[in-house]
Amino acid sequence: MSQVVIQGLLLSGLYSLIAIGFTLIFSVGRVLNLAYGAYIMLGAYCYFYITQTVGMSKPAGFALAIAVGAAAGILKYLFIVKPLKGNHVAVEISTLILAVVVQAGIVLLFNDSAKVLHPIVPGVIWVGGAAVTYNVVAATLASWLILAALYVFVRRTHTGRAMQAVSMDVKGASISGIDPDRVNLITWIISGMLGATAGVFFASYTQLNPSMWVAPLIIAVAVVIVGGIGSIVGTLIVAHIIGFMEVISTTFIAPELRGVFTMLLIIVVLVMMPRGLFGREEL
Amino acid sequence: MAADIRLRHVLLWGLFIAGMCLLPFVTTPGTLRTVIFANYLAIFAMSWDFLTGRTGYVSFGHPFLIGIGAYSTAILSYRFGVPVAISIPAAVLITMLAGTLFFLPALRIRGSYFALVTLAFMELMYQLVQVIRPDITGGTRGISGVQTLTSGAFNNFYLSFALMVVIAIVLWTLTRTRLGTALSAIGMNEESVRGSGLNTTKLKLFSFMVSACVAGIGGAFYVHYLGSIAPRALFDINFLFTIIVAALIGGASTIIGPMAGAFFLTFLLEYLRPVLPGSERYFIYGAIALVLYMYQPKGLYAIVEDLAGRVRRKPTQDTVRDRAA
Amino acid sequence: MITSSGNGRGTEMGWTIRTVAAAAAISALAATAALAADDGPVKVGFIGSLASDTGRSTLRGAQIAIDELNEGGGVLGGRQIELVTADTGEDVTEGIKAYEYLAETENVDFIVSGSIDDVSLGWLPRMVEYKIPTLDTWTSYIGIIDKLVEDYDAHKMYFMNIASDEALATLYVDFGKDVLKDKMGWKSVVILQEDTAFGNAINGLVSGLLAPEAGIEVVDTIVYDTQTVDFSPIFSKAVDSGADFIYLISSVNGQVVASQYVKFQVPMPMTGISVAALGQEYWEDTGGAGGGISTLSPIPSVGFALDPKSQEFADKYIARFGDERPKFPHFNGFNAYWGTLQAFAAAEEAGGFEPLDAWVAAMQDQDMILEKDGELWLRYGFWKPDEVEPRTGRTYPHNLRFDITPPYEDGAPSMVVIQWYEDGTAKVVYPPKYATGEFQVPSWIKQ
Repeated sequence: MSQVVIQGLLLSGLYSLIAIGFTLIFSVGRVLNLAYGAYIMLGAYCYFYITQTVGMSKPAGFALAIAVGAAAGILKYLFIVKPLKGNHVAVEISTLILAVVVQAGIVLLFNDSAKVLHPIVPGVIWVGGAAVTYNVVAATLASWLILAALYVFVRRTHTGRAMQAVSMDVKGASISGIDPDRVNLITWIISGMLGATAGVFFASYTQLNPSMWVAPLIIAVAVVIVGGIGSIVGTLIVAHIIGFMEVISTTFIAPELRGVFTMLLIIVVLVMMPRGLFGREEL
Repeated sequence: MAADIRLRHVLLWGLFIAGMCLLPFVTTPGTLRTVIFANYLAIFAMSWDFLTGRTGYVSFGHPFLIGIGAYSTAILSYRFGVPVAISIPAAVLITMLAGTLFFLPALRIRGSYFALVTLAFMELMYQLVQVIRPDITGGTRGISGVQTLTSGAFNNFYLSFALMVVIAIVLWTLTRTRLGTALSAIGMNEESVRGSGLNTTKLKLFSFMVSACVAGIGGAFYVHYLGSIAPRALFDINFLFTIIVAALIGGASTIIGPMAGAFFLTFLLEYLRPVLPGSERYFIYGAIALVLYMYQPKGLYAIVEDLAGRVRRKPTQDTVRDRAA
Repeated sequence: MITSSGNGRGTEMGWTIRTVAAAAAISALAATAALAADDGPVKVGFIGSLASDTGRSTLRGAQIAIDELNEGGGVLGGRQIELVTADTGEDVTEGIKAYEYLAETENVDFIVSGSIDDVSLGWLPRMVEYKIPTLDTWTSYIGIIDKLVEDYDAHKMYFMNIASDEALATLYVDFGKDVLKDKMGWKSVVILQEDTAFGNAINGLVSGLLAPEAGIEVVDTIVYDTQTVDFSPIFSKAVDSGADFIYLISSVNGQVVASQYVKFQVPMPMTGISVAALGQEYWEDTGGAGGGISTLSPIPSVGFALDPKSQEFADKYIARFGDERPKFPHFNGFNAYWGTLQAFAAAEEAGGFEPLDAWVAAMQDQDMILEKDGELWLRYGFWKPDEVEPRTGRTYPHNLRFDITPPYEDGAPSMVVIQWYEDGTAKVVYPPKYATGEFQVPSWIKQ
């Protein structure tokens, strides 16, 4: 039992980290960024290239991955989201196309073989029948830290409060002197940085390959759908529901049905409770 | 529901059909093979467009419908020896049943949420095909050696073209009836349609059924053309990408648009092959699609119309497209 | 929104222009198609993924063979050979298009394939239709050989010069008996199988034979999803089963399970099939987190001692492609090289690739024995349609002629077991005739 709790907590920590950047864009910009998986992939490959191909240090790898994520966010906002002027469907479809283009680009640069990252923090300990790598603990701690920092940022800073305002009512926000354009740009940058960071941790769990963007995107989508247009706390809760559901179904039911349960959860929640478990909350 | 069809339309369709029928005599079998794929893609794109382009319910799960049609007939004919004359209609019916499943969420949600739930349908099917009875579905490897209806580029060209053009004409006729107008109105503003006393649920159901029927027919004939089926070929984001992009690049909510888009994309990818044999091909292909879509989200249709309008020095409604967006 | 009304928009005139433009555009696309080739060079088509190590291995193997033949004065009365490639991107539908392209636009005479299972199955109906001699060098799916058993006439142009999956099960059972049971003293196994058709098939074969033939009891089978992010619960389950070791069957996303096994330092030995570990790049790609992994591998595998002639090919390969991935050919690179040479040798005997029956007859008689230190080392030949393999008691029409009874004096073994040691070297550990190292359990396991 303790094993399920440990494994569930650690996996859920990773899932919250993956989902949060996606939630952010969905709350503030009201857009599904289907190229969110591309940030994850870019961040991971960037980190891999810096640390394992070039041989530079891990902080350098992180710094560059985050920078690339931020750049991707800026470019995407300026060249895709802004020109499409809030046409949500067009943004979603163009981000889908973009994701496929990025995938092709990765194949071109790194070929399609899978690669594995060194653990960010090496070492392992077996607790109550569960393998706990220090790397996974680091990922979970980082995830909590980042979520807490984001929470404080959104609640306490001027920019954060502006984001909240835009997420609730764009028109109202602009009347009260907030520039929604600037707020959106900042949100896209933060989302890109979060995606790239999540990518490094996700890859340190799994592997790098050119189609690695699909799985985390599905996790992020599941969290957002099940949680409803999410708050940070809502994302955290739903990530834990999905993470624990996965560990429980793997341990007690059938490991091969892992993905099936997640998909069923999405469909059932959407059909029964279209607004998600938590409905519309504050950011 | 008399359709608004003029003699001119009949003549033009006739001209188009005659032109395409002559194609095998002026070109090579290799090109015909590409045209066949384009024909099937056009069917899928039209099916997507009849649902999404008209009613505004964005489907990210069309591969789910197409795949169900394809798998149904493949399994019936390959595993159980059912003759294709029965298995194909059965597959279409099964697809329409699956279409009602698709329809349920649309009663309550729309927009991005609907898109996501349809995407989840596709992913779920991808997983289920592998997990449930792989001895029947062939699991991850799929089924190879499904009966083909006819052989050779020549015959298959006529078969696929006939299918495509019949579907196109039927859908086109539908759009020119009052029913078609009502469907498009749902895409513009569902509430006001309901307010004007029409039963939007029935209208939506009709649109879903037509779309599923076309997807089922396309999927079933497609698998009997390919001769093989695999989950990765059907329930896949890349397949979804191709269908949606074909419809959008051509021009959504037109019948000619998805057709033109399908031909454009299929030939683009195939004609890049000798120039860029490697993986650069998919990169350039995707990039062209993205740039075209960003330049004109309404597709080639609107670009051509724009040009035509400019030639005639008379602004068409589309030159003020930003208003609609 | 992307929706807009399609009704009553535009003028009648606009409709005219659009329709004519659409028809004209379609005709124009069609008219510029490439013309059929004439009787000049002999054309060989490559089908496979140009972005994968395995695809490139096949392509380069075929390229080296073709260049040798061209330098030697050409084939079939001095004709030169031209190689054309068709990329599949490992996509099933693209694979079908690629086969059609080779057949109808390029009019190739012979096709060499480095395709993965479902891609090969995808284009197989096209091969039956076009009747083009085709050699597969990577997929080992027995289902394709079964198609030759069921309907030989339709599929007779197909050759697979890698031992099919079924043969590898017997080798594994021998390995289990000789090494795992007798030497290591292990008596029970938990099978860790990915949820794919490959996983099901191998599991079916291996688990059926392990208890009766090797005396190893299968205590549990865990089937996992290939998209699994965290294998911790799965390894916990395996450890809880109390078995002596884990038998892994993994072909998709194989780096994840193997690297997590190492990162977790799972206190239980693991061996089996890990397709990801078959290439020289494995160490580099896993950043060293591949130590301890052992797997069955088709031959010539990594760590395999080469006979002089295969070494010659490998040297040529390195000299030409050694700067670019894969720096050393995978097994299918060797298969493509020897297979292409054999296909042309058969063509010389039959007077060309047509008529098909003559070529097929000549091809299935090809038999090349490569010796090392006076011993049979590798053999490239094919099972004939009616020949029964003695141990499994079935036929393997046009499959590579493998030998699954030690001491392997009639042919090459179907597979070997290789192991990646924790220092980054890889060695063959079974069968003894081919062994270059010894089977070891990872250092973190206390026996």
